[in-house]
Amino acid sequence: MSAAHPSGKARRPLSPRLVALASFPLLMTVAACGAASDNGDAGSAAEGGENGKLVVWDWKSGDAAAQAYFETARADFAEKHPGVELEFVAQPFDNYYQLLGTAIESGSGPDVVLFNGGAQMRERISALAPLDDMLGDTKERLTGWEAFQAEGTTYAVPITLQGLPFYYNKAVYEQAGLDPEAPPATYEELEAVCTAIAETGQDCFSLGNKEGIGIEFHLSTYGAGVFSAEQYDAWLAGDRDWTSPEVKQLFQLWVDQHEAGWYNDGVNSTAKFMDEYTKFQGGDSAHVIGLISDVAHWKSFDEFLGEDLGVFKPPVVTDQGSSFLPAEGGIGYAVTEWTADPELAYDAVESLSSTAALTDFYVEAGAIASDTTIDTSGAGIATVGDIVSWLPESKPLLHSALSAETLELMHRLSQQLIDGGVTVDDALQQLAATDQ
Amino acid sequence: MPVLLVAPAVLVVVALRIVPLVMGANYSLTGDGADNGAFVGLANYRTLLDDPVFRTALRNVGLLLVALPVAVSVPGILATFLFLRVPGHRLYRSVYFFPVVLSPVIIGAIFNVVLSFDGPANQLLVRLGMQPVDWLGDGSIAMLTVIAVHIWATFGMALVIFMAGFATVDQSLLDAARVDGANLPQTVWHVIIPELSQTIQFVFVTTMIGMLTGMFGLLYIMTAGGPGGATYLPELYIWVQQGQMNRPALASAASMVLFVFMLVVGFAQLRIIKRATKEV
Amino acid sequence: MLSRGPGRWAIAIPMALLALATLYPLLFTLNVSQKTRREYVLDRLGLTDRLSLDNFVAAWQTSGLNTYVLNSTIVTVGAVVALLVLGSMAGFAFSQLRFRGSRVLLLLILSALLIPFQVIMVPFFRILGGIGLLDTHLGLILAYTSQFLPFTIFLMTSYYSRIPGEIVEAARVDGSSTLGIYLRLMLPLGRPALLSVGILNALFCWNDVLIALLTMQSQDNRTLMVGVTALRGQYSDNIPLFASGVVIAALPVLLLYLFFQKQITDGVTAGATKG
Repeated sequence: MSAAHPSGKARRPLSPRLVALASFPLLMTVAACGAASDNGDAGSAAEGGENGKLVVWDWKSGDAAAQAYFETARADFAEKHPGVELEFVAQPFDNYYQLLGTAIESGSGPDVVLFNGGAQMRERISALAPLDDMLGDTKERLTGWEAFQAEGTTYAVPITLQGLPFYYNKAVYEQAGLDPEAPPATYEELEAVCTAIAETGQDCFSLGNKEGIGIEFHLSTYGAGVFSAEQYDAWLAGDRDWTSPEVKQLFQLWVDQHEAGWYNDGVNSTAKFMDEYTKFQGGDSAHVIGLISDVAHWKSFDEFLGEDLGVFKPPVVTDQGSSFLPAEGGIGYAVTEWTADPELAYDAVESLSSTAALTDFYVEAGAIASDTTIDTSGAGIATVGDIVSWLPESKPLLHSALSAETLELMHRLSQQLIDGGVTVDDALQQLAATDQ
Repeated sequence: MPVLLVAPAVLVVVALRIVPLVMGANYSLTGDGADNGAFVGLANYRTLLDDPVFRTALRNVGLLLVALPVAVSVPGILATFLFLRVPGHRLYRSVYFFPVVLSPVIIGAIFNVVLSFDGPANQLLVRLGMQPVDWLGDGSIAMLTVIAVHIWATFGMALVIFMAGFATVDQSLLDAARVDGANLPQTVWHVIIPELSQTIQFVFVTTMIGMLTGMFGLLYIMTAGGPGGATYLPELYIWVQQGQMNRPALASAASMVLFVFMLVVGFAQLRIIKRATKEV
Repeated sequence: MLSRGPGRWAIAIPMALLALATLYPLLFTLNVSQKTRREYVLDRLGLTDRLSLDNFVAAWQTSGLNTYVLNSTIVTVGAVVALLVLGSMAGFAFSQLRFRGSRVLLLLILSALLIPFQVIMVPFFRILGGIGLLDTHLGLILAYTSQFLPFTIFLMTSYYSRIPGEIVEAARVDGSSTLGIYLRLMLPLGRPALLSVGILNALFCWNDVLIALLTMQSQDNRTLMVGVTALRGQYSDNIPLFASGVVIAALPVLLLYLFFQKQITDGVTAGATKG
């Protein structure tokens, strides 16, 4: 067998037959059975509490500003279950759902998971435990549930509310000769403001659409001003007419605003998080469509703009449209279906959504908490008072009703609409075909 | 005994490369979501064919192959100059290799800032009186930009391979060429290239493998497939379908298409690999 | 060959510019790492006018890079050792010993060179989870070994095939066993290739983000490069902190390169030349 090679030169060339032979088993041997997603028999059951540890995944526990929140929740849980330790694992947000997907497929992962409301959670409900039977009076204390429900079942407990207000820089308004205390209420007024600001050489809006998320913010803010109340509710309920004049108008606005030069150059190569907001904070533009929790919100803008920061609700565009702050449940905690003791995991969720913990979250991290019993008067930042006062009349976000697939397509189309690769009619037809 | 020497390596490769490949082939015939685990035949492959993003991804692989000669000739030309002892050649040889040691993800993040619309690259263009370019936001050039950055990041590797090849060029041939009065291009064409054929083939193979399997990190950070899906590669498509879209079965089907594609391209090159591993 | 005088410089100047372009991104990063977050937001590109280690300290301590360095070291060393042992054994056997099926096996291994990681990603983690190695150092070492083994075998086989068969034959006549030949002849002879292939593999393992990210789920097990990437999350606008992390992560690699420059550049060339 192991005859030494007589000389290095003696090897014969590999024949094609051998090449085919080598690849044959790869292509032909198909294992007996299997599914691409391994939701059922997860192997990590042992991790769920029995060894005294519950693993919680999020993308926030690494932030210095959120430490108080997590410590309060940890202490609250330790009181209920002294023998069980909560382990918070901060994952990089960029890859969060990728990591979660790998965990779901390999059947080993965390017991409690932080989710964004809407599509990302709804795509993964088969890996989550229904929570309705355990909620109790939490259901009344918190708001923002819709974003964490699918077909009437609740899969996660909201801890923040997320909304999309227009933030503006009063200093830029003054430079343009505008009244910094009278932000636009209608689209016509907004157009006039942008015309005035264009003359100062600054951008009316900062926008980053590298990931295509800019269109989500556009749709969900201007949508309130374009749709009638009935159309708005129908859209949320799943009755969406992509070819209606209103939807067409919404997407046309997206194109028109670019052609009118409202935005910074290089929109498609600018990251929304955080380049867009870095520009606004740096004083490069008059407006930005921001958030009310997590990031890109009143607290982070206040740090740079201070007294110059103002906020207003999306403008009314059509006669039938109205002006309100689109808002809903922002982020929330879910329990994975493979955890050993769902009751125990839910107790962790309860600690993470307790009034004491959420108060810390609101004060330190600047998130608008889902807990209606928290006193929000003492934040010391003027804009937060406005935002909180608008919450009672807000409605869920339009884009949150869409599937991950439709959103992905919309991201791509929004970039093509900007560089002229597709027309509005074309784009809407493609969207209508996906959204069924 | 020789079997025992190769057994551990074969075991690792088979267990963690080949078996997953076969499992993936199997998943690709099952469904996602509600159809999880159910046999759906070739439905996933039909979905792929209908998906313009996946078609763009395959087209971009073609673009990579077109760019391959550039990725090989740039370091080849530079190595020739270094071999001919351009002033400062020692320094360049060290400096040019330098990007190779950086992680693609980090290179991508740095170039994101350098190539942003108001970044240093465009500032330089404007100062030179030219129009700024939306390097990563213009669908018609974004892919070329990423390829260029990939070449920037890896040409040092090919360069040192060429340099090593030059070291083996028979000096007497060069002297003879000089005596015959050959100019530089003639010398390169008639002496250096034939002498380096083995090296050139090797660089082709390694560069191709690098381009076809190693661009994900850059792409993911620099464009994430945008704008408008113009910079997708199959690896990114697989990543997105598996993670964001939660469609692992469709991702498996895309994986199989990519693998077959690689196998076809690889067959052409395997001949060369084989020659490189065989003694000359 | 290259004419003296202006011709030389006509080529030297563009090459010097290229050298500058090669170094620029790192100098740029170094500049950003000196700024505070506030300075970066207000002036992204301007030159900094002060030198400070604040961001480096913050990245090192509060962001936990110090623990990540340890993980990266363990995993890199483990994988490189495994790769060199498996790679040299297989390279020796494939290049110097003829046995039934050797060509098919070599081809099988080399064909794995053409499998991008994403192609096998989904089942790969199912297998790793199935044998309980997800989120362990051993699991990541195994992942790296399988990822870079084909390339290692490719290089080692071509390096060893340059050694004349007569040497092996002579050792055998002297009564050496195959294992003896491997240990006492091939390993010492392969030293240059092993050193450079080892350094290259160390680079690959150290710089990897994708595989480490998906293999190591818990924070304590994270590798340095994943930790650095996490500094630039969607939810962080502290780019100077990220830039500092980049410098920290690149530093050991740069030092390695400066010390072993010759070995690295020699090693990639195994198999590329006529020998």
